[in-house]
Amino acid sequence: VIGIKALRRQKTKRLRDSVLEFLVFTLPLVVFLVILYGTLAWNFYVSTANWVSTAPDYTFTGLKWYQYLFHQNRFWVDVQNNLKWLILGVLPTVVAAIFLAYLLELAPFPGIESYVRTLILYPVAMSFVVTGTIWSWLYQPEKGVFNTILASLGVQSPFTYTNDPATATYWLVLIFVWQYLGFAVIIIQSSFRTAELQEMVEAANVEGASKPRILFSVIIPNIRSGILVLVSLLLINSLKVFDIVWIVTRGGPGIATDVLATNMIVTAYDQRLASAGAAIGVIIFLIAFILVIPYTIYALRRWFD
Amino acid sequence: VFKRSSTVLGVLTALGMILSACGTPAAPAVAPAEPQTVIQTKIVLVTAIPQPAEKKLEIFHWWTAPGEREAADAMFAALKAAYPDITLVENPVPGGGGTEHRVVLKARITAGIPPDTFQTLGGAELKDYVDSGVLQPLDDFYATTGYGSKIPKPLLSAVTIDGHPYSVPLNMHLENILYYNQKLFDSLNLAAPAGYDDLIAACKAIKAAKPDMTCLAVGSKDNWSDVFVLDTIMMELGGPAYYVKFFKGEVDVANDPIFKQSLEKFAALQQYSNMRDHSSLTWDQAVGAVGAGQAAMTMMGTWAIGAFVKGSNWQPGVDFGAVNYPTKPERILLFHPDTYGCTVGAPDPAECQEWLNVVASPELQIPTDVTQGGLFARTDIDPKEFPDPIRQEMQDYVSKNPDKLIMDQHGTILPNPAQVEYRVIISTFFASAKPNVADAIQATADMMTTYNVKAGAAWYKWP
Repeated sequence: VIGIKALRRQKTKRLRDSVLEFLVFTLPLVVFLVILYGTLAWNFYVSTANWVSTAPDYTFTGLKWYQYLFHQNRFWVDVQNNLKWLILGVLPTVVAAIFLAYLLELAPFPGIESYVRTLILYPVAMSFVVTGTIWSWLYQPEKGVFNTILASLGVQSPFTYTNDPATATYWLVLIFVWQYLGFAVIIIQSSFRTAELQEMVEAANVEGASKPRILFSVIIPNIRSGILVLVSLLLINSLKVFDIVWIVTRGGPGIATDVLATNMIVTAYDQRLASAGAAIGVIIFLIAFILVIPYTIYALRRWFD
Repeated sequence: VFKRSSTVLGVLTALGMILSACGTPAAPAVAPAEPQTVIQTKIVLVTAIPQPAEKKLEIFHWWTAPGEREAADAMFAALKAAYPDITLVENPVPGGGGTEHRVVLKARITAGIPPDTFQTLGGAELKDYVDSGVLQPLDDFYATTGYGSKIPKPLLSAVTIDGHPYSVPLNMHLENILYYNQKLFDSLNLAAPAGYDDLIAACKAIKAAKPDMTCLAVGSKDNWSDVFVLDTIMMELGGPAYYVKFFKGEVDVANDPIFKQSLEKFAALQQYSNMRDHSSLTWDQAVGAVGAGQAAMTMMGTWAIGAFVKGSNWQPGVDFGAVNYPTKPERILLFHPDTYGCTVGAPDPAECQEWLNVVASPELQIPTDVTQGGLFARTDIDPKEFPDPIRQEMQDYVSKNPDKLIMDQHGTILPNPAQVEYRVIISTFFASAKPNVADAIQATADMMTTYNVKAGAAWYKWP
């Protein structure tokens, strides 16, 4: 009898525990999903409404605001600039990171290497608002650091940096590359550190392969997963770029450096076209989705193999 | 094993990043939805305490920069002096009257918990709030106080939409002022330019004497300082009636000779301007360039007086001079006011009316406007209240010629969406190495039709 009672008590306790576990697990998840996908759905709903002033107007207008954007010159300038960010913000960063990481691996004094690693990691810890402000001082054509240094060397600088509508975006991307390079180096370096790879490198060394040969034939083919993680992180961060542009140029000169995210804030709050601003938000989301889905499929396939 | 777990980590991180990426765009439009729960709390509070023991007033404003903060304090001191029993709930949003203020205000209004009163410019900015049903008409206030007769008529029409006044102006900022280096002009025997040809002549003389000095400093990072310059050219070539017609969308822009000529003259100013860095300077940095002796002149509103005095330690009439520009064919003042109205559905309507009494009073306007940089809205205040000769003279001119005021590029004639687009067109034009007049004309003509400016600006009556 006692045994049955104890068993029953144990059962209720187990049930209570599992209910508690269930709640602990699902409640935060539900809150997270509601906040994220709820607001996402709401954003899409607003983009199909007719909210054009301070007070909301939820009259359904279909895809009117998407059409409005597609007819807007500014929108296509943004798309081009976002593409520049995607390509130039990612490729040079990854390539430079691989070389830098390898150089650090080859560093003759292991003690110094860890200090250098900490040093180059610092920029990523800074806010874009801070780096943007600092770089706008560096770039200032008349009083900025770069042109002052050039002038002291007797060179009349031809660069006006972010003031030249034709090249301004590239100077902004350079800030991004600088900021993320240290972070990229750390990710690449950590993917060097697998036992398999270390063994392979050692074997290649024993057989007398040159350093560049080891890098291209042994290391790079074997750190693909590290590169993939890095590329996807950089892709998403360069896609959602806002701070650097807003702080350094505010999208100018004119709209030369404007991107979708800055256009979104201007459209929604300066022009007060809330629905059109929401439509830009949906478009940014779709682009992010399209970029990440192929990667996810690839990664899942590797997982199940 | 390592590879596999790093891949999973990668997927998770990537998903996390994309989610956070999506969160950002969604946030602005969605923000209004969040505080809805708060409404109920508010209602409960109000019904639970039918007669609040304490009188309070919530004010939204954007005066947080140095000089502006002191002006805000002067406003609230005037309120305290007139109504000591009102508890002020101040809600300043930093950011120079720009986007940040509207983001917060829009969220509060959409959520149904508006502040009692908030700062707004006149014109299109005000009309947007009126169209949204956010502001109460103030016919009674104007009828009982007679404030409409105390301020210039164009100022009254800047806050009057479809026959009803909706806010109370406490100042007037003038846009079209040319600031110049007084000592340089004296040494070169130059007079303050009255129009475009004078300006070019002065620039040539300055270039000859000081080859390294920029003649006209422009700070176009904010996208509007360069539009100010084009305004002066259009005003001179077309006159005030043309200027108003243009921004009301009543001019055939594509075939308009005056706009074309204005753009050409505007482009010709590039060689006398700081082309290497104007798009990375804000207006106050352009003022600073004059103060540092790098440039001879700049065009900016009344608010630049404070920037010269505080930023460069330059004294008006001694180190720098300032004139309305152009004064050909006539002296017109482009202006916008800072105003306050009462919000529909706000909890303290009686206190808001008392606040408006204070806004309309000389007791508030004298200390506030002297500190902040504009002119007095009331024309019955002695211009000598201003410490500087520049505003003394301008206030005097306004009092004697109230009909010379026209809305400027801030509290605008152009509806808001069109206004932003117009600034972009003009800034793109001026920043370009080879400004394309035909493109700018086409873009402006498209802007007028896309945003239906003719209908959107029809409310504005001038003279």
